[in-house]
Amino acid sequence: MAHDPRIAAVVRVLPEHWYDQETLLAALTSYWARKHHNPERLAELHRAVGVKGRNLALPLEAYPGLDGLQKSNDAWIGAATSLGEAAVRKALGQAGLAPADVGHFYSVTSTGLSVPSLEARIANRLGMPHELRRTPIFGLGCAAGAGGTARAADALRAFPGDAAVMLSVELCSLTLQRDDGSIANAVASGLFGDGAAAVVLCGAGRPGPGPRVLATRSVLWRDTEWVMGWDFVDTGFRVVLSGRVPEVIRGNVAADVDAFLGAHGLARRDVRHWVAHTGGPKVLSAFGEALALPEEALARSRRSLAEVGNLSSASVLFVLGDLLDSGEAREGDYGLLAAMGPGFGAELLLLRW
Amino acid sequence: MNGHEAEVAAEIRRLAREQGSRQAPFGDEEELAAQLDSLQLLALVTAVEDRYRIVLTPDDAAGTRSLADLARLVVRRVEAEGRGEGT
Repeated sequence: MAHDPRIAAVVRVLPEHWYDQETLLAALTSYWARKHHNPERLAELHRAVGVKGRNLALPLEAYPGLDGLQKSNDAWIGAATSLGEAAVRKALGQAGLAPADVGHFYSVTSTGLSVPSLEARIANRLGMPHELRRTPIFGLGCAAGAGGTARAADALRAFPGDAAVMLSVELCSLTLQRDDGSIANAVASGLFGDGAAAVVLCGAGRPGPGPRVLATRSVLWRDTEWVMGWDFVDTGFRVVLSGRVPEVIRGNVAADVDAFLGAHGLARRDVRHWVAHTGGPKVLSAFGEALALPEEALARSRRSLAEVGNLSSASVLFVLGDLLDSGEAREGDYGLLAAMGPGFGAELLLLRW
Repeated sequence: MNGHEAEVAAEIRRLAREQGSRQAPFGDEEELAAQLDSLQLLALVTAVEDRYRIVLTPDDAAGTRSLADLARLVVRRVEAEGRGEGT
C-alpha cells in the first residue's frame, strides 16, 4: 500500500471545432455518394452509433485539402502538439507541479506518426528536464489510455520519488479515408472523434490526493489480430473494424476481470466505479452484459460516447476525468479502469480512493 | 431458390464474412435477425445495396427473414432495375 502510485490529475481537452452529427454526415455524404448506392444507409449507420456530435482537429472546410498522408499527418503533428501541450500544461497545474518536476513522459496515440515523438516536442515547449525518461507508445489503439497509465504507474513503483505524465492524443478525423467505401469506414466515420487527455501520476514518495493505482494487468486474447487495426495504404490509415468486436469482448472480458480482481482478494461486487472505454453502444453493452453490471454502472461511459464520440485511447481517460471531477468517489472506494483495443486485448487498472 | 438466387445467396454470405460479422456460413433458411445484431444487419444491407446498386425499403424488410428471402428480393429488385422500373 505504501508503495502505490497515485493519479494526481486528469485533464480533458477537445479541439474547438464542434459539429453535430447531421452536419458531419452531410459532409461525408458528398464524398461517398459514389461509393454508397443508398446514402440513407450511411445516415442510419451514423445514427446507430448514438453520438450527438464531435469535435474536430480542424474546421470542416480544411479537410477536402488533405488529399494524402503527408498533408494529413503534417496537420496531425501540428494539432496534436498544440492540443497535447494544452492538456499537459493544465494537468501539471492541477497537480501542483511544474514541468521541471516531471521525470517520466509517456505519450500514446494510434492516429498519427511523429518522430521525434509527441512527448519530445511538448517537453521542449514546456521546458521539461534534460534527463526526462520518454516513452512513446504507438498501436495499442483504444486500449492505450489505460495501457499508458498502467505503464507509468508500474514505472513509479521503481521510482517512488518521481512524477510522470501520460498524454493521449487521438485525432481520428485526420485518418479518414475518403475513397474507402467499406462499411467499417462508414461506421468509424460516424463514431470516432478527436481529443486529448493528460494524466499526472505521482510515486508513493509524493503523497497527496487522488486515487491510488493498486495494480495493473494486460491481457492479449490469442488469435484475435483480425478484430481491429489499421491497414496502411498509400493514402494513410485504412480502418479494420470487425462487426464481431462485441462478441470477442463478451467471450473474454469477464474471466480476465475476475482473475485480476481475485488476485487482489476482490470480486465484481467490491468495485464501486467502473471506468470503461466508450467503444460504441454495442461494445458497452457487451462489456456490461459480460460482467452482469447494472445499467447505471456504465452511465458515465455512455454519456461520454454520446457527447464526444469514441476518442480512441483518450476515451477512458475522459470517463475517469469526469468521475474525478464529479467528486462521487469516496475514500476507500474501489474502481476498475478497463479499455480494450487492437491485439485484441485489454488493459486493466485497479484503483482505490 | 433458382440458380441465380443461389448465386446471389452465396455472394451475400461472402459479404457477411468480409465484414467479419460471422465466421460460420449462414444456412439458406436461417433467420438473419437471430444471427446478426441490428448494427451487423444494417451493415450487411448496406453492403448488399452497394454490391447490387439497389435500394431496399422498410417494406422489403418486413417480408425478408432468411438469407433465401433476401437473395430472392435482391434478384427481383435487380431485374426490376434492369427493366427501368428502378426504385
